[in-house]
Amino acid sequence: MSGIEVGLLVLFGAVVFLDTWPAVQTMISRPLVVGPVVGWILGEPAAGAFWGAVFETLYLGSMPVGASRVPDAGLASLVGTVVAIQGRLDGVEAAVLAVGFGLAAGVAGERVDRWHRTWNGRTAERIARSVAGGDPDAPGRGIVVALLRGGAFGAVQTAVAVALALAALDLVETTWVAGRLPTWIVRVVAVAAAAMAGARLFVRQRIHRIAWSAGLVAGALVAWGAA
Amino acid sequence: MRERLRIPRPGRRERGRIALRATLLQSVWNFETLQGVGFAWSLLPGLRALYPDRAERARRLESYLEVFNSNPYLATLGLGVALRIEAEVARGAAGAERRVSRLLRALRGSLGAIGDELFWAGWRPALGVSAAVVALGTRSVWPAVVFLVGFNVLAQGVRVAGVRAGYASGAGIARVLQDPFWRRATRVARLVGAAGAGAAAGAGVVWALLGGDGAGVAVFFLLVVLLGLVGLRVETRYRLPAPSLALLAALILLSALFSASKGALP
Repeated sequence: MSGIEVGLLVLFGAVVFLDTWPAVQTMISRPLVVGPVVGWILGEPAAGAFWGAVFETLYLGSMPVGASRVPDAGLASLVGTVVAIQGRLDGVEAAVLAVGFGLAAGVAGERVDRWHRTWNGRTAERIARSVAGGDPDAPGRGIVVALLRGGAFGAVQTAVAVALALAALDLVETTWVAGRLPTWIVRVVAVAAAAMAGARLFVRQRIHRIAWSAGLVAGALVAWGAA
Repeated sequence: MRERLRIPRPGRRERGRIALRATLLQSVWNFETLQGVGFAWSLLPGLRALYPDRAERARRLESYLEVFNSNPYLATLGLGVALRIEAEVARGAAGAERRVSRLLRALRGSLGAIGDELFWAGWRPALGVSAAVVALGTRSVWPAVVFLVGFNVLAQGVRVAGVRAGYASGAGIARVLQDPFWRRATRVARLVGAAGAGAAAGAGVVWALLGGDGAGVAVFFLLVVLLGLVGLRVETRYRLPAPSLALLAALILLSALFSASKGALP
């Protein structure tokens, strides 16, 4: 992996962290989008799109409702896609490692997220004191500070997670963990996960069961036709 | 009092700037005031128009730094309402200060519930599952583009329109929240999601049959679903996504089998 690729990944990690919740929330941070972007950075957009979709199915049911805390799906998919693509470039299908490291990165990312929110609490206190002292411009300055800190958190956690994952890949790529798993198996397991999570989220009434059945037939026919 | 009557009303420019600032509503999200700082900062262009005096502006701004939390896309409705009533506060209307505070407290729950149901539990996973199935089959980047555009047309559209709708309705915001649009949009999202989940199941069975030994792979497919159901308990207890546990377990199992059989398995 070249220095430019590493730099772009770290920069993208900062953007992903900010898009997750502190800024705009355009969903650039969703695995479905993170995968292709990582793939594009590493010169394998098709593999990135595939792995992005795999991680999207994993985190379908994970929702930031209210003040709930959820695993960092953006970091998980970024790290997992890097491991999968780098493994392919090294001649192994590191599916287990990609998913395992992605999952671990998602859990670690949630912890970093919590630090950031706690730190934001101190920033908010400072802002409140300044405003009470008659300074209405304090929130603007505080927001700039919080965004810069968020970007730094995102960049650092991406750099650390990618470095650890690639080091682990080097260690295990000759063992069974790296595997020789065909892509179609990963695809089948991913759609099984999607079907399960989707049914749990959406199928509640008769009309949903009808839509689910229509989707089942359409999905089977299209997959069969495409094959 | 004459001075008060000459206070300008916040116009389209202020409302546009409020909608733009609302994209950073959660930038200082914290466990004490949640979105409070972002809400106050987003409202600042309106307060600047209403209160040219810096000290008075700071005093009114302070009242918005308290706890606020809602869905980030629907929060602009609350900002519009606050701006409308704040204009009454600036004109010296009796009881308006208390009214804005009470109304925002009451709005938090409704904005959160409607927005979370529509976006987090509705459109995002619905578009996500549909786009993911297509991307898994085609390995194309286009499903991601469609997901991104489709979600943002609705989410950012609601965000931009929210300030105007909230400002126009003021204390009558309940009428906007009772509009059938929210219910219909959520219902359509669920149908899209259910169809997407069905398509995932259908495509999965076909890919499993085409990819290897039919019966063996079908059993394996069922195994994954069962693993997922077991994983649901783990999800509740440890906040780990159940499908990922199912996927990881299945992949570890298959990798070990492949390794043991030197790739002779289907």
